[in-house]
Amino acid sequence: MPSRRFSRPRAAVVVTAAVALLLAACSPGGGTSGEPSGEPVTGGTLTYASGDAEPSCLDPHVGGNYPQALIATQYLESLVSLDEDGEVIPWLATEWDVSDDGLEWEFTLRDDVTFTDGTPFDAEAVAANIAHVQDPATASSTGYLALAKIKDVVAVDDHLVRLEMSAPDSALLESLSQVWVAMESPKALERSQEENCAAPVGTGPFVVDTWERQDSVTLVRNDDYNSPPADVAEATEGSDLPYLDSIVWRFIPDSASRYAALQSGEVQVIDNAQPDTIRSAESDDAIEELDAPRPGAANRIELNSGKAPFDDERVREAFIRSVNVDDGIQSLFFGTAERSYSPLSSVEPLGLSLPDLFTVDFTVDTDAASDLLDDAGWAERDADGYRVKDGERLSLDFPVSTNQSIPAEQSLFEQIQADAKTAGFEVNLQPLDLSSWYGVLAENDYDLVSAPYTKVGPDVLRILYHSDSITPAPSGYFANLAQVDDAELDDLLTQASATSDADERAALYEQAQQIILEGYYILPLYDQQNHFLRSSTVQGLRAMPTVSTPTFAGAWLAP
Amino acid sequence: MSRARVGGLRFTVAEAVAAVFLLLLVVAALWPGLLAPGDPLAVSHADAFQPPSLAHLFGTDESGRDIYTRVVHGASESLRIGVLATAIGIGLAIVLGFVAGLGPRWLDFGTTRVVEVLFAFPGLLLALLFIVVTGPGLLSSTIAVGLATAPGYARIIRSQVRRTASAEFIEAARVLGRGRLWITARHILPNVTAALFVLATLGLGQAIIWVSSLSYLGLGAVPPAAEWGAMLAAGRTYIANFWWMTFFPGLAIVASAAAATVIGRGIQKRNRSGA
Repeated sequence: MPSRRFSRPRAAVVVTAAVALLLAACSPGGGTSGEPSGEPVTGGTLTYASGDAEPSCLDPHVGGNYPQALIATQYLESLVSLDEDGEVIPWLATEWDVSDDGLEWEFTLRDDVTFTDGTPFDAEAVAANIAHVQDPATASSTGYLALAKIKDVVAVDDHLVRLEMSAPDSALLESLSQVWVAMESPKALERSQEENCAAPVGTGPFVVDTWERQDSVTLVRNDDYNSPPADVAEATEGSDLPYLDSIVWRFIPDSASRYAALQSGEVQVIDNAQPDTIRSAESDDAIEELDAPRPGAANRIELNSGKAPFDDERVREAFIRSVNVDDGIQSLFFGTAERSYSPLSSVEPLGLSLPDLFTVDFTVDTDAASDLLDDAGWAERDADGYRVKDGERLSLDFPVSTNQSIPAEQSLFEQIQADAKTAGFEVNLQPLDLSSWYGVLAENDYDLVSAPYTKVGPDVLRILYHSDSITPAPSGYFANLAQVDDAELDDLLTQASATSDADERAALYEQAQQIILEGYYILPLYDQQNHFLRSSTVQGLRAMPTVSTPTFAGAWLAP
Repeated sequence: MSRARVGGLRFTVAEAVAAVFLLLLVVAALWPGLLAPGDPLAVSHADAFQPPSLAHLFGTDESGRDIYTRVVHGASESLRIGVLATAIGIGLAIVLGFVAGLGPRWLDFGTTRVVEVLFAFPGLLLALLFIVVTGPGLLSSTIAVGLATAPGYARIIRSQVRRTASAEFIEAARVLGRGRLWITARHILPNVTAALFVLATLGLGQAIIWVSSLSYLGLGAVPPAAEWGAMLAAGRTYIANFWWMTFFPGLAIVASAAAATVIGRGIQKRNRSGA
């Protein structure tokens, strides 16, 4: 206010203090942690700080995004899991069998597991869970799409369940390993969605205790825990899992504060670590890194081929030819991310990489871009240097989810904007929060978008690029954001998801990826970055081989 | 405090420094190319994250853009929005203040109550409310800051108008048969203008801070625009390792707000002693 007095000496003190803080923040926080002790220690509370958006619902059946998967991994478990080699291994189901026509799957379930509300885990529970995911009222997106081919679930007896399929699904086991279709207590699912969202009930190592909105979720130890996945059970035989008494799961969206909290010891594990802090943590003995690239799709920019100007393949190719992302990835990510040339994550064995398509000696090809745009009718330029056609500017809307794109990625988009401008594209970057971002996508008000999608296995291609996925899931989200509508591709993806022959499946997915890449529908960037930093006192933390979420089932705090 | 005599006027050193800084700011706003010939948006991958040096006085940001160039070019954005927002605030306040100051009793009562209700909200909150309704962007954040500052100005203007209206020379003019409008335009408005000028200068500093705050929150200028608040927000992520990305835009905000305040106070002091 104009009338308030302004004290000069006090202001000087504030400035000095701010500078001192700045300088203090620049010097690396030294650590004195020695080698980790080998024997697990029981007890203690671990604090985790998440930079992802706070979920609006803790039940990952509802919607189904990565922030939900991160936390739900601590209290929910799936029918099957994967081992380090990507082989499917038993979890809540001990064995399974598929009929010759691929239309019937039978799962034998563990008979000694109960949910943390006392409800026994049985065939009826599996049926209730699949029904819950498929119920439009649940508004599931990820789980709904993953289980789309399950037509009916029959409880043969208490611990034998049969899934009847509408078509063969070679990706069924991979789909079922994901936390988005994990098992919840059927009794708990009968509550209202609001109640179930606040405290889902599973069979996992921890139980949701309290949820302070906008702050933290407290998870406490499940004292009756007995159902780790087969590989963990083998490795920790004889131990009483989990070791920790509780986990405080905090939400600290600001990356600098999150890192500072880790350095000060206020929290012990952080996710969404920024590239520059990962680099500086390397020289810090007190902080260790866990890098767990997510399976499924690589991070990529989707070009909306469903409307002008990207309905013209020449314009799509021109855009991709005119932007240089390699240099930006190197400088912005400090070597923590590697350029991808594939629709699939590098952890997917069936990924097809076509570097030659995207780079000519790692430079942009402005001449080619220019010719393509001339051909496509965008031959003239306006006073600002942007291409025009029939009086309309070559303008692209690029909504950016500030919750999902880390700052380095947002900077990369700014660099793409600058490159594209040289070629005559006007790129309008729109930083948006998650719900506004979903809104813009639902309205088809975008030409470019980067939307991470995590799923185990190459079947993610069907979800992302089959024309069926232009139709929204019950949550309102549609996954085919490039709006690829290609009958040949649809056919390949349908066949690939139905065949049980491994070689045939690989060949089909390769052809499918070729169509996607050579149609210039996407600009692949890098794997979905999933870097965690932990205090070196945290031992036994590992990422699930399924969707790369960290699990604290076997974690302990070294004294 | 030491004083220097320039052209028959007395300045404190702080005022002189502030005046020079404001002058630089105006030059930067009108002809940024004179102070920094480069392109504030030019990306250069090889130069990313360079600390301050002779080649880059304030260092470079994550895309290798020169921060000095961006701070200079950012002045026009910040100053323009600051001036515009203040103009909106004061313009609105003039209308409200005159209606309340000269209108009938009931109108004065009504307007004053409305202003008081608005005054009860912290200014930035009022601005945020406005942006929630209209959606983020440069224009709406400018209007928002203008609206948010209006109640404060309106109160001061009203009391100034009241005081002037009851002065003897106004009484004289009325006795001479001058019309209401004539009196308002010829006597009251000029008398209020002096106070307005001080308010505007002081308000400018504050408006710059508010506009930067809104951009910092992602509600004003959109990246990669060279705007101080937006630069501060972009640099925040890297504060642990690259302090210059936040330090220099921050310094520019603090220095311009301080300079505007010092000058405003200087004028206010002289007005008071002159009156």
